[in-house]
Amino acid sequence: MKLSSLATIGLVSFGLVIGAVGCSPSSDTTAGNTSAKSSSYVLTSEPAGAMPVGEARKQVKDNDEVTLVGLIGGSSDPFVDGMAAFTIVDAKVPYCAADEGCPTPWDYCCQTEAVKENIATVKIVDESGKPVMSDARKLLKVKELSTVTVQGKAKRDPQGNLAIHATKLFVREGK
Amino acid sequence: MLLPWDYGVRNLARRPIRTLLTFMALFIVVLLILVVIGFIRGLEHSLVVSGDPQVALIYSVSSEENIESSSISASTPALIAASLDSTWKRYGVVHASPELYLGTRVSVGEQSNGLGLVRGVTKTSPLVRRSVRIVDGQWPIAGEVLIGRLVGPKLGVAESNLSIGQSIDFEGRSWRISGHFAAQGSAFESEIWCNLQDFQTATKRQDISLVALRLAPEAKVAEIQLFCKQRTDLELRSMGETAYYASLQKHYGPVRTLAWFVVVLVSSSGVFAGMNMMYGAVAGRVREIATLQAIGFRRRAILLSLVQEGLLLAAAASVLACTIGLWFVNGMAIRFTMGAFALSIDEFAIMVASAVGVLIGSLGAIPPATKALRANVATSLKAI
Repeated sequence: MKLSSLATIGLVSFGLVIGAVGCSPSSDTTAGNTSAKSSSYVLTSEPAGAMPVGEARKQVKDNDEVTLVGLIGGSSDPFVDGMAAFTIVDAKVPYCAADEGCPTPWDYCCQTEAVKENIATVKIVDESGKPVMSDARKLLKVKELSTVTVQGKAKRDPQGNLAIHATKLFVREGK
Repeated sequence: MLLPWDYGVRNLARRPIRTLLTFMALFIVVLLILVVIGFIRGLEHSLVVSGDPQVALIYSVSSEENIESSSISASTPALIAASLDSTWKRYGVVHASPELYLGTRVSVGEQSNGLGLVRGVTKTSPLVRRSVRIVDGQWPIAGEVLIGRLVGPKLGVAESNLSIGQSIDFEGRSWRISGHFAAQGSAFESEIWCNLQDFQTATKRQDISLVALRLAPEAKVAEIQLFCKQRTDLELRSMGETAYYASLQKHYGPVRTLAWFVVVLVSSSGVFAGMNMMYGAVAGRVREIATLQAIGFRRRAILLSLVQEGLLLAAAASVLACTIGLWFVNGMAIRFTMGAFALSIDEFAIMVASAVGVLIGSLGAIPPATKALRANVATSLKAI
């Protein structure tokens, strides 16, 4: 076989190999449609008589109907991924000011002891009481340090932790 | 009219030394690119396969994403199992793996005193860490350790020093090697596994670093996360294992950027080296090119023939570099910060390296060929 023929075969084979490599199956990265749906859980006006989180931890009993107000935060990641749930902290607990340069002021890193007595978990539930399996940030248009007022049923445990199974939520303008 | 295909091929054989030198330059450039991309892909692969979407990690909220510094109560697995239905149970066995995970000094004979990764585990660990396979030996009993496939490169010691029956020292004790394990290229392969209670005794600790849970089929990591947030008194944090290793990937972002920068630099130098070689090759063929023009071949046809030469050389160099890469570089263990991983010469690495090689071969030939074709034919015919 002539040298030129060998070279031709080699070049064509090389092209085929590269082509085959380029056509190797790739993982399907098509994400599901996550278009935001309007939330039936969000109130248009703020309910009256909301109780701060710190006070609620002292007064509220298991299964009480409560209205609670607080700021979303308490850790570097206060949201639960894939579920409409988050933690809120009493507004009286200070967090790092913007000019301090803290990248995550919502973790209350300088107030960890105060946070323990002023934190509650909010879980948005549907009419049947089941948790809403949708990210709160998309569903409720909230973010870290948003001030929210929630209405729902209180859940207490023997350790004194407070959780709210909320059916309605109001997000204050601004933060 | 185009020049015959054979003409370009014969030209390569006519100047064997110059052809060989160009070939070697292209080969080295493609091999270098292959090694750098293999490094990036190996690192990514190691972190990607380490995460199991059905496994959730529970660790201390104060440790953020640094599990080695986490400390939680040893009773956490029982508490989670009692409080949640999210954990997979079969035949009464809860698929929860309490683990104590540490980076500690490890000595192998008198050769090494490097930093090793030790994980204290129980017999439920393989139920959660399903990628782990014992390749030889047996599960460690008290005073024994199971060695990952990449522990040798991680510690910088020869495999022969880590064979079954030999001893390694850490935390003030000597541990007999009971076997070796592989874990599909995941980060576990650079770890040393031993009995949890034994490790707690050696480190004088009663706590654990984390609990790894295998989720029940319908369960979600969110349920565990919610439990951890509700039980603020426990100061726990939960994360899906895939999310955890994805977060580690973010830390290695600058390394990846730097590696890609190296790829660009090497490719650029390759283009210039190729161009330089082709300038030399074309400069010595001024009369030949002018003659081709004089007998009626168009400039475009001559240019195509010169590019064909460069392309042929580059393709051959790429094939050889990829073959060498697959045989000798693929799977080579690399020691890296807190672990080790294997270089991965996969289809992507081959595709990018070959594409760059072909690009160098074709682009490198164009400027010198264009320059030679612009010269006056009558003058060029008289050139010495």
